[in-house]
Amino acid sequence: MIENGINRRDFLKVMGWGGAAVALAGCGNTSVQDGKEIVTSYASLDLPEYAIPGISVYFNSTCAQCDAGCNIAGRVREGRVLKLEGNPASPINRGKTCGLGQAGVQAHYNPDRVRQPLLRTGGKTEELAWDKAFALINEKVGGAKGNEVAFLTGGLSGHAKVLFTNYMDALGSKSHYVYEAVAPSVVRAANKKAYGVEMPRLHIDKARVVVSFGADFLGAWVSPVHFSQQYAQFRKGSNGQRGVLVQIESKMTLTGANADRWLAVRPGTEGIVALGVIHALGEAGMSLPADVAALSKAYDAERVSKDTGVSAEQIKKLATLLKERTPSLVIAGSAAEGYAHGSQNAAAIALLNRVLGNIGKTIDAPATVPFPQVAVETGKRSALEALSGSMAGGAVKVLFTYAANPVYSAPAALKFKENLGKVPFKVAFAHFMDETAQEADLVLPLDSAMEEWGTVVPEYMPETAQLNIRQPLMERLHTETRGVGDIMLALLKQSRPNDYKDFDDFYAYLRNAILKNKAALGGAGTDDDTFWMETLSKGIAPMGTAMGKLAATPAASGLSLPAPAEADSAYPLRLIPYVTPNLRDGRHANQPWLQESPDPLTTIVWDTWVEMHPSTAAKLGVVEGDIVEVSSRSGTVQAQAYIFPGIHPDAISMPLGNGHTSMGRWANGVGVNTFALLDQVVDKDTGELALNETQVKVSKTGKRVIVVKDEGFAGGSQAGKKIAVRTSTDKVELTGEV
Amino acid sequence: MSVSNMLENWKNFRHMHPVDDAPHAEYKWAMSIDLDACTGCNACTVACYAENNLPVVGKDKFNAGQQMHWMRIERYWDEDKRDFPDQGAQFLPMMCQHCEAAPCETVCPAGATNHTADGLNSQVYNRCIGSRYCSANCPFKVRYFNWYDYPTTDNVWPAEMTEQLNPDVTVRGKGVMEKCTFCVQRLERAKNNARTEGRLVKDGEVQTACQQACPTNAISFGNLVEPESKVAKQWAHQQVELAREGQAKDEQEGGSKLRGYRIFEELRAYPSVMYLERVRESAI
Repeated sequence: MIENGINRRDFLKVMGWGGAAVALAGCGNTSVQDGKEIVTSYASLDLPEYAIPGISVYFNSTCAQCDAGCNIAGRVREGRVLKLEGNPASPINRGKTCGLGQAGVQAHYNPDRVRQPLLRTGGKTEELAWDKAFALINEKVGGAKGNEVAFLTGGLSGHAKVLFTNYMDALGSKSHYVYEAVAPSVVRAANKKAYGVEMPRLHIDKARVVVSFGADFLGAWVSPVHFSQQYAQFRKGSNGQRGVLVQIESKMTLTGANADRWLAVRPGTEGIVALGVIHALGEAGMSLPADVAALSKAYDAERVSKDTGVSAEQIKKLATLLKERTPSLVIAGSAAEGYAHGSQNAAAIALLNRVLGNIGKTIDAPATVPFPQVAVETGKRSALEALSGSMAGGAVKVLFTYAANPVYSAPAALKFKENLGKVPFKVAFAHFMDETAQEADLVLPLDSAMEEWGTVVPEYMPETAQLNIRQPLMERLHTETRGVGDIMLALLKQSRPNDYKDFDDFYAYLRNAILKNKAALGGAGTDDDTFWMETLSKGIAPMGTAMGKLAATPAASGLSLPAPAEADSAYPLRLIPYVTPNLRDGRHANQPWLQESPDPLTTIVWDTWVEMHPSTAAKLGVVEGDIVEVSSRSGTVQAQAYIFPGIHPDAISMPLGNGHTSMGRWANGVGVNTFALLDQVVDKDTGELALNETQVKVSKTGKRVIVVKDEGFAGGSQAGKKIAVRTSTDKVELTGEV
Repeated sequence: MSVSNMLENWKNFRHMHPVDDAPHAEYKWAMSIDLDACTGCNACTVACYAENNLPVVGKDKFNAGQQMHWMRIERYWDEDKRDFPDQGAQFLPMMCQHCEAAPCETVCPAGATNHTADGLNSQVYNRCIGSRYCSANCPFKVRYFNWYDYPTTDNVWPAEMTEQLNPDVTVRGKGVMEKCTFCVQRLERAKNNARTEGRLVKDGEVQTACQQACPTNAISFGNLVEPESKVAKQWAHQQVELAREGQAKDEQEGGSKLRGYRIFEELRAYPSVMYLERVRESAI
């Protein structure tokens, strides 16, 4: 098919379906439709027929608060989006949402959004028209060669990714740095080695025992709303056989707080525990593969207990439980991956799954996305190190940043802000004037996720491959913001006018792209208009049923775990940065519901805190509310102390996400930035920043504050009353429960 | 409403539910919360802010105990002095328990809080004079007072934020008490729709905002009068009766193997929320 003078292969690439594993069926001749779905304001005379004043209509879309890609339904009334609910037809979140997702409307209605393209020269900021902004970009990229134009983005998927990569292609640049500050990038690499896929599907609901090494799958890990659904099923079990959760970590996460047994492990020794459990399984009579048996031979319960602080009795009990109750599931999470030997920890944990025979039962191959161009590209922390080096060497002339705030989240050792200053022209796509936008020469204001068109292919898809649709839930609040797709399309029109001239805007492009490929998206035999309306109405398009394969088996060869680290005399404590369910990497800090929503474990609001075990606090003479100074080799901050029983005495923990200097009225000046403390220590196998490798010292400053928290003066005591009651499985009959 | 009118018709305003001579007619809204499914994630509490136009008060007012979270997650630790809380934390979603004999109702000097025919503890904002007696008398501490006029307070609902406000729910001004309503705006809409169609509200037809968000389906809500509703079946299976203080099952020797209970049942407030005990594995 030749269309518009481009050959078919190029055409597919333009539309995002290039390199496809499945053939696209017959492309018909569709003309670009200029009609858009109208979300009408009450004041408009042009009410669509379904809109009745006072009655809400729900439009399906895709949540943008994290990368899980939950399908949502926006409640729209009189042209305003009021509330987000889950889309019940979603395989991911099945009608449910998390608190972070609920707060999506506050990202949209936020009064601190950027509203105009801004040109910043020598400390002066002036508003700019879009055509001038595009012309300026064209001039600047024209003056740079190939890789001198660099792109720093968060994880990308869908048609925004297609346009980004096509634009880079047009400029001849391969400098795409995909960066996620707190993503499980080491676990992905370890999974790839162990199972042959980066993120296998996990069947928590089918497991009778789940052992999680610090994977906060109920709080902030990968796809929490989906895993919470599975967890509910797991707890109910079948025939009254309730699933058992054991969490092994150094700082209690939300998932740890829900475990049947929470085991405090000496930081960094997670892999040793895993090998210890394998050893104990062998002792208990389970037959071990020869390579595994040889590796785990040295890890008898007594030694493991000495190394890790987990009692020999617990290790044996855990092995017994795992032997008796199958299938089980072992998950390696952030706690295990956050070390210089993080990959090795994760490999040891994967080995446990192999020994237990879980692979193929509770660990399964993910769906194959048939269109690689739209498939997700997940971020790496090492991307930031690479970019920073490149900028320092003057190799970057123009830098685009999107969905990332590296000036806020980069470890101090990278000198990111300083190196950024060496880039002559920096363009930030921004919702807020965050720390990175603050350094940019040109700031382009983005539509909110409730105003823009787009597609999303989530990393974790529980069933088959799905293309999530994002559609406007209302008209733009501010006339001069643009969707990221529209911006990229406009840029492409400058460099490749012939390829994109038929698309007035990103909506036209997206509609055309989806209709061109409707047969592969479940629309074979449907006419275009019907299929388009159906797709928008469902908010999800299926992308075939092909499933991948678990092409590898976890192997013992090459696996070696270091002895537990000796205490550092100058910096005796280990800092465990906590990714909170609400604030994650800090991009949501200006949503007031999230600031006022108490941290589930400490119940603290509107601040950063330093968690320490009562015994550590006693040693330091610290009580709750003491302002302590926490120093690492890279930085120093001061924050309030909170005495917290769920943390290993060798460690302290501080939440990430606050301490913004530039973001908005609810974020600025709240708490401190924990990222600023991080040492640039990387995982040896992957080069990813090891988040738990920062050693710190803590000293009192003499100041004290009242910790603002929800738990009240009783501090988590029920005062002997029957308020939140717990029982144990031997005292309760769950069979027959409704 | 004049005080004389209220006194004259006292039993209409202060109907001691449940009583044999006047059982609930069509509806008795009730809830059950499974603490074994609840993970303490706070999705419900943020959903409640979104649905019910709750103001964000900020750090200082939060410190003064003036936070307005109709639904909150209480977090408790074991108190047996182990080194680590190695069986995790205890989470408890707490909101107005919609007591059938609510202690808050009897003390209201203005008749602003009283019982509806379908078993809700209602709060009539424009009757409320701000005495706060109800809050003082609430055993669950789930009533929240507007110490400030939040709609006109800086940075509560600035500029465009007002457009998010739910038009089905009043925005409260200074000096009135407020609390969880079981999302009465959703209940009324569902009842109206059902009435138009000449039927009763079906089980599952209406969800509270917290229930709808809850990622683990820990919250069930429905009509206790309808024996086939999920919530009625749960209460029945757990042998928790609305009109009792102290359940028969607990009087058995050795207790029961059921996990339904109500908080502070012994106070004879007859709460409409049943909790299911959290369970922990005994083999590990």
